[in-house]
Amino acid sequence: MKILLVEDNEMNRDMLSRRLSRNGYEIVIAVDGQDGVDKALAEKPQLILMDMSLPVIDGWEATRRIKADATTKHIPVIALTAHAMAQDKEKALAAGCDDFDTKPVDLPRLVGKIKALLPGD
Amino acid sequence: MAPKDDVIYDAQREHQLLRATLENMAQGVAMYDGDHRLVTWNEKFVEYLEMPEEFLGTDRTFSDYIRYIGARGEFGENADIEVELAKRLKVLSTAHSFERTRPDGTVLEVRRDPVPGGGFIAIYTDITERKRAEKLLLEAKESAESASKVKSAFLANMSHELRTPLNAIIGYSELLAEDASDRGDEPALKDLQKIQAAGKHLLGLINDILDLSKIEAGRMDLYLERISLARLVDEVKTIVDPMVHKNDNELVIDCPADIGQLNTDFTKLKQCLINLISNAAKFTSKGTVSLRVSRLADGGGPSQIKFEIVDSGIGMTEEQIGRLFKAFTQADSSTTRNFGGTGLGLTITKHFCTMMGGSIEVTSKPGEGSTFTVVLPDQADEQRDEKEHPVGLPAATAGRTSSAINILVVDDDLAVHDVLAQTLSKEGYALTHARDGAEALEIMRKTPPDIVTLDVMMPKVDGWSVLGIMKSEPELEHIPVIMLTIVDDRNLGFSLGASEFMTKPIDRNKLIAFLRKLAPASKDVVVLIVDDDADVREIVSETVEGVGMRPATAVNGRAALQWLEHNPRPDLILLDLMMPEVDGFEFLARIRENPDYDGVPVVVLTAKELSEAERSFLAERTLLVLSKSAQPIGALGAALSAIAARGRAEHPHPHERQP
Repeated sequence: MKILLVEDNEMNRDMLSRRLSRNGYEIVIAVDGQDGVDKALAEKPQLILMDMSLPVIDGWEATRRIKADATTKHIPVIALTAHAMAQDKEKALAAGCDDFDTKPVDLPRLVGKIKALLPGD
Repeated sequence: MAPKDDVIYDAQREHQLLRATLENMAQGVAMYDGDHRLVTWNEKFVEYLEMPEEFLGTDRTFSDYIRYIGARGEFGENADIEVELAKRLKVLSTAHSFERTRPDGTVLEVRRDPVPGGGFIAIYTDITERKRAEKLLLEAKESAESASKVKSAFLANMSHELRTPLNAIIGYSELLAEDASDRGDEPALKDLQKIQAAGKHLLGLINDILDLSKIEAGRMDLYLERISLARLVDEVKTIVDPMVHKNDNELVIDCPADIGQLNTDFTKLKQCLINLISNAAKFTSKGTVSLRVSRLADGGGPSQIKFEIVDSGIGMTEEQIGRLFKAFTQADSSTTRNFGGTGLGLTITKHFCTMMGGSIEVTSKPGEGSTFTVVLPDQADEQRDEKEHPVGLPAATAGRTSSAINILVVDDDLAVHDVLAQTLSKEGYALTHARDGAEALEIMRKTPPDIVTLDVMMPKVDGWSVLGIMKSEPELEHIPVIMLTIVDDRNLGFSLGASEFMTKPIDRNKLIAFLRKLAPASKDVVVLIVDDDADVREIVSETVEGVGMRPATAVNGRAALQWLEHNPRPDLILLDLMMPEVDGFEFLARIRENPDYDGVPVVVLTAKELSEAERSFLAERTLLVLSKSAQPIGALGAALSAIAARGRAEHPHPHERQP
C-alpha cells in the first residue's frame, strides 16, 4: 500500500513516515506542493497525506491540481493542518480533499481515516 | 454718620468687596457695559492677556480690545482680525465659551455671559496644565493599547513557534514508546509515556495562550451552525470521563432526550463545557461532578439553553470568585502548586460565552462545592424552517413576476447554482447564471442585474477581479455585490466596495434577508443620521439627498431617541458609535427593546476598531457595519438606497406609527 506524504517540515516528515512504515505502509516523500503534484503523477500512490502550508505551491492548490488531472483525481487526499479551525476544514474539503486531520497527528485516528478511504486495505 | 454718608460708605464697602473678590480669583475677569466699554477687570486678566496699563482704564470698547490683541498677533500671524472680531460680536448676546491657544502655547478657556441690564462679563481660565495632562493621558492610553496589540500578535506568532518543537518532542517520544512496547521494554516505555504526557500538557497550555491572544487581538471568529445538543453532550462525556474519574469522582449527566438543537459555535461551546467540567473535577475528590442541560422557554422570545456544571468540591470564597475570570490569576496563588493549570481556561470560557451571545455565572461556598451556569441564546430560531426547502433539481431561472428583482449568480460550482435557484426563485427572484468571471462580466454589461452574488475562487477571472472591474465601470459600480465565499476576507471585500459579506456554507435565510435589504430603492424614504461630528452629518445628509431620500439628523443617541419619539419611524438609521451622553451601543440596546422600532434597519458607520464582543453585539442588532476608514462615505449611495428599500418592502406605510 503506497502513501505519498507531502510535508515540508523535516521532523514531521521523518516521524510520520517512520510510524506509518511500522504500520506496514510504503511511504513516498514530497517536500513541497509542486513536488507533491509531480510525485502523485509519477508514483501513482493509493493515498496522499497533504500538509496545507507548503512552499512553492500550497496544499490547497496542489490538491486542486491533483484533482483536476484525470490520471490522479481518483487518489484520496487527506489534508493535514496545524489548526483545528472549522474554516480550515471547509477550505480543505472545498479544494477537493477527501478527509481532514489535525497536527500533531494522533496515529490511531489517522490510520483509521486512511483505512476508511482504502477499503481494499 | 448722616444717612447719605451711610449709603456712600455701603457703596464703597461693596466696591471693595467686589475688588477683593475679583483680585483673589484664579481666573481673569473683564466686564463690559451695554456699549461694550470695558468697565472692570482684574490683575489676572491683565496677566493672561499681557495688557499694557496704558491700554486699560481708558474709554476702550470690546472691539478696540480684540483689534489690539489681534494686531499683536494673538490670533496667529495670518489671522484676519476683522473676521475674528465679527465672529465674537455675533455671539455676544448669548452665553458661550470656547478654548483658544495663545501664541506662547498656553491654552485659555474663554467664557462670556450677558449680564442683566446690558453688557457682558468675560472670564478667562488658564487650562494649559489640564490640556497637557489630557494629552499625556491620551498618549499613555494609546501607547498601552498598541503595546497590548503588539503583545497579542507576538503571542500568536510565538505560540506557533513553540508548537513546532513541541510536536517533535511528542511525536518522537511516541515513536520511541512504540519501539519500546514492541521490544517489551517496560521501564523505558513508562518514562517515554511521561515525556509524552508532559508534552501534551504543555501543548494544551500553549493552545490556551494562543486562544487568549487571538481573543485579545480581536481575531477569534465565530462559526455558527445548528448543532445537536445530544451529540455535543456525548462528545463532551467521552473526553471528560477519564478526567472526572481520576479523583474518584462520579460523573452525572442530566440532559433530556428531546433537548433538540442549538444554533451556535460547536467547537467553542464544547471547549467551554470541557474546561468547566475538567475544572470541577480538578477541585473535587471522591464526590460528584454533574452536567445539567435544560431549555429555558422564554415568553415568545428566542429560547435559551442552560448548562449547569455542579461539583461537590472545595468551593470558593467571595474574594476568590471575584478573581476567577481574570487572565493569569487563579483563585489562590497556591492553587497552581496544588492543582496545576494556567488559570486561562475560565478566562477563555468567559470570552467564548460572551462571543456566543450568552453569559456565565458562578455560585460557590467554601467546602460546599461550586455551580457554574452558562446560558446561551439560540442564535437564529427562524432557521428551523430550512427543512421546508429540500434541495433538489435546479429550478427555472424565471421569477414569479416580470418585475422580479434580477440576481446574477456567479459561481464555478454547479451545486451553488442549484441551491440558490431552489431557494431564491421560491422567494420570487429572477436568476441569471454565470459559471466564471468573464461570462459574468459579459452578462452584466448586456443586462445589468439588480444584485450580483459572487464566488471568490473561480477559474480564469476570479471574484476579486470581477468585483474590482465592476467598481471601475460606471454602468456596473452601483450594483450591490454579495460575496459568497469560503475564504473569509471581509476587509478586502468591503474596501473594494462589497455591500455585504457572507461565508459558505450558504445560510439561505440570511441571504434572502440581504437581498431584501439590497433591493433597488424607491423615493420618499427618511434616513435618520446620528453622529456627533457635524461634518459627518453634513456629508452623509448630502449623500442621502443625492439618492433621493430625506435626511434627518441627531447629534447623539439621546437626541436620536427624542427624535424618534416625536417623528414617524424612519426607514433607516445611520449610526455612529462613539458619541457623548448616549453612545451608539446604548442607543441600539434601547431601540431594540422598543417594539415601536422593531425592524427599523440600522447601519453602523464607525471609525472604531471593533472587538469581537462588540461585533457580535452589533451583528445581532444591525444589518451592516461599515467602516468609515475603509470606505469613502460618498460611495455609500448605492448601498443606502438598497438598504432603505427593505424597510418599505416590509412596512408598506413606513410613515405611520405601528400600533
